[in-house]
Amino acid sequence: MTQPTTQPTTQPTTQPTTKTPSQIEGPAPTAGVDRSGLLAAPAYRLPRRLFSRLEGVFNEEVFFLILSVFIGIFSGLAVVCFRLAIDWMHLALLGPLPQTHSWRLFAVPALAGLVVAALVLHVFPGIRGSGVNQTKAALYIYNGVIPFRTAVGKFICAALAIGSGQSLGPEDPSLQIGASIASALGRWLQISREKLRLMAPVGAAAGLAAAFNAPVSAVLFVIEEVIGRWSAGILGSVVLSAVSSVVIVRWFLGSEPLFRIPVTTFKRPSELLAYAVLGIVGGLASVIFAKSIGYLRPRLKALPRWTQYFQPALAGLFVGLIAFLGAPQIMGAGYDSMDQAMHSQFPWRFLAILAVLKIVASTASFVSGAPGGMFAPTLFIGAMLGGAVGDIERIFFPHLTGSTGTYVLVGMGVLFAGFLRVPMTSVFMVLEVSGNYEIIVPVIVANTFSYLVSRSLQSIPIFDMLTRQDGLILPSLEEDREEAVLHVEDAMLPVPATILSAEDYVDANARRVQDSADSTFLVRQHPTGWKVVTREQLQNLFHEGKGELTLASVLLSQSLPSLYPDLPLDSALRYVNDYPLIPVVNRADSRQLEGVISRDSVFKKYGSPSGIAVQANL
Amino acid sequence: MSWTLPKLVPRSAPVILIILTLAAATGFAAVGHLVARFNANQQSRGRKLYQLGIEDARAGHYDDAIAAFRAALTCEPANSQYQLSLARALRDSNDPRRLEEAESYLLALWQRTPQDAAVNLALARVAAHRGSVEDATRYYHNAMYGVWNLNPDANRGKARIELIQFLLKKNAVANAESELMALATSLPADPASHLEVAQLFTQAQDYPSALAQYEEVLRLEPGNAMALSGAGEAAYHAGNYATAEPYLRAALAANPNDTNSRQLLETTETVLRASPYRTHLSDAERNRRITAAFLQAEQRLTECAQRTGVSLDSAANPSPLSRLQARWLAAKPDVAHLRSPGETDLPDALMDIVFQIEQQTAGPCGPPQGLDLALLLISRERAAASR
Repeated sequence: MTQPTTQPTTQPTTQPTTKTPSQIEGPAPTAGVDRSGLLAAPAYRLPRRLFSRLEGVFNEEVFFLILSVFIGIFSGLAVVCFRLAIDWMHLALLGPLPQTHSWRLFAVPALAGLVVAALVLHVFPGIRGSGVNQTKAALYIYNGVIPFRTAVGKFICAALAIGSGQSLGPEDPSLQIGASIASALGRWLQISREKLRLMAPVGAAAGLAAAFNAPVSAVLFVIEEVIGRWSAGILGSVVLSAVSSVVIVRWFLGSEPLFRIPVTTFKRPSELLAYAVLGIVGGLASVIFAKSIGYLRPRLKALPRWTQYFQPALAGLFVGLIAFLGAPQIMGAGYDSMDQAMHSQFPWRFLAILAVLKIVASTASFVSGAPGGMFAPTLFIGAMLGGAVGDIERIFFPHLTGSTGTYVLVGMGVLFAGFLRVPMTSVFMVLEVSGNYEIIVPVIVANTFSYLVSRSLQSIPIFDMLTRQDGLILPSLEEDREEAVLHVEDAMLPVPATILSAEDYVDANARRVQDSADSTFLVRQHPTGWKVVTREQLQNLFHEGKGELTLASVLLSQSLPSLYPDLPLDSALRYVNDYPLIPVVNRADSRQLEGVISRDSVFKKYGSPSGIAVQANL
Repeated sequence: MSWTLPKLVPRSAPVILIILTLAAATGFAAVGHLVARFNANQQSRGRKLYQLGIEDARAGHYDDAIAAFRAALTCEPANSQYQLSLARALRDSNDPRRLEEAESYLLALWQRTPQDAAVNLALARVAAHRGSVEDATRYYHNAMYGVWNLNPDANRGKARIELIQFLLKKNAVANAESELMALATSLPADPASHLEVAQLFTQAQDYPSALAQYEEVLRLEPGNAMALSGAGEAAYHAGNYATAEPYLRAALAANPNDTNSRQLLETTETVLRASPYRTHLSDAERNRRITAAFLQAEQRLTECAQRTGVSLDSAANPSPLSRLQARWLAAKPDVAHLRSPGETDLPDALMDIVFQIEQQTAGPCGPPQGLDLALLLISRERAAASR
């Protein structure tokens, strides 16, 4: 008969998730700094009473949230200046009315490319590469440190490169400028290393939100791509910084959206097939774009160092020549051209040509090492491709009701999902930019197809590919999603034939184990809980003359932790060395035993072929 | 580049927040100053480009105007005037693909200021380009009742006139007439306005109203040649030949090169000379006119039959013309009885045959001339009067 005991069960799932500041704080990033002063020391020669009251309010969590708002403000201010700098450069170098067949179109980006190369090689060597990856590296490798010099360098060089017409976008530099400002602020304030690590993504979200004027997409992108995991601890800070930076940008630059959104319609579910085709075409274009960059970038980097002085210039010359020959739309970020495509200003042939030329031009600009991002080119290619595919489909199927603007918008999301491999961000980005939820279904369908096509033809996402080319291996949410995770139930052994009761006498229990081949037995306590006893312990108790006592009264060992079948097997690792057997119980009824795990069963599972991937990560 | 908090500053959270707030305020002010200067430069550049666009648009160089307006908008993306001008240039460029973009700009403006009459008028014109009577009417009405910054009454009148012209072009005559009625009641004492409305009434084939407007013009400006000609034409089409004659005569006197008035006057005089229904005619004159008309009708019938190759003698398979000739022949002996005092219905019976011949021959034998035309007009006048 089972006699439950009153001892509580120790379960890993019930551990507190909110830590106190003292638990969170790790070693200070700067040696010899007294960090306690940050939160506790009163300000001398200032009204002590007021400050002592205020300091009671600020634990590190609250302080970090407030700091996030300031990060957003500073990043927003920086991005406003960055955008003005790009506009000013563009006006000063290319003039307000860029004309085709003007010598400026190829001379300006080429000459600006020489200046940019010199600056990158001699003054700001850290700015080469993707801002997303540098922010991610700061989070995972460099303890949140991004030199402030990087922000300055990105600001100057990206403004010059994009303003002169290189086929790149301002979003990636904005993201890195935000991250760099946040990192500098964190180091200046000497906050804990754990929080300092998180400062870079918080700043990145602020920078990206300010650049896109789209806070939700920025938050999602940072979580999906930079942080690489959902973390409740940082979500609030990321959201606060993104929102505050968007408020700043709208304050100074107005709340005009990036595009004038035309009437977008989705009437018949059968039209989803048309959007699926767009998704497939977009997926293929994403793969071509990504593979072009992946192929050319390491080869150009491997060339002798002196060639790096000329690579951005040659890329600028190439982009300029395309513009000179009749397609100035591909220069710079190209938001105006996207807007025109959205309003049916270009015939489908020209849209298709622009998409191809933008892939070529952006690949050239990016692999040359010119600072600038791939967000805007991705949107541009998607917009043109979407418009072209939509127009072609309507030629063959005139009954399709989706306007060119609808296809252009969906196309943007398609490339975002296929090239950047951020499926959630891509959906929300289109919705946030368009402000129209009517097209959510076409967007989801097209993006899913694009994502699947891209993933099947290009196993490594573009950002991971770039980091690996730079010799870094950073965690990826996409890889995490695809990883086979072992659970407790995978290593679980059947319920043992002999289960003892703590309410029974020692001699009765000793008799019950006589016929069993096992050496260790679970003991059920009343009302819940489990203990473990060995055959040897039972025999000793019996020989000590304690046969007339209940097992509960003589078994003084600690209660066993219990596990649930759906928990990750990793959670069992912390117990298997301390306990010979661990009960696995039902979530609905903790008295119901589902099975047991032991050290051997766990390690056997990790040693099995399906467990190798997980073991490698341990 | 690594910075740390200076040792002199206490690392207390409130102090840090004060420092950050001050830094943010300073940054805010600095960036605000920078943005203001940049915007001032951009506004100046935008104005120049806008003027360039306006000149191009006035010269009909819409592609250049569009490029200039676009560039002006890159300087000031939220400038409503630039957006409106770009939308107008896009609309007026006669490129159907640009109409959508024009509408998009205008709709964005409309959402911001739905009461703006200029935006509504531009939207109405886009709808008119598309041929949408419903949308165009709605936006024209919005423009009429919207807010005009300059000359509201004149602009409202112009918007209504534009709507009427559009409706007439789309053959929505009833709608056009109701708009014209509303317009006529609110016209200023200005000959030009009344003249324009009179011409629109003429286009809408509301000749009595047109005549009234022309007469109003002549009251305000006696001797206005266009009004005289218009009044004569309106009276002529209204079947009021007695009124038309003096206007047409006066119009011709004012402008001897007015061929239309001359032609109408000739027909009017013929009608007046040939009509047996005019008042104050002696019986003898009335009978003479009926007899002349009767004989003219037979001549017209014979000529028409010859022109169309129809045999009037075919008794086996009679054509409409041969049936008419049969009626004419049957009635011919009655002409002699016109003087008889008991034959009160005979003039109408004879003229009925004349009218039927003129009406039926007008189709296959082309428009009549001279007396035949006059008889046809008299027949229409009688039919209208009987209705």
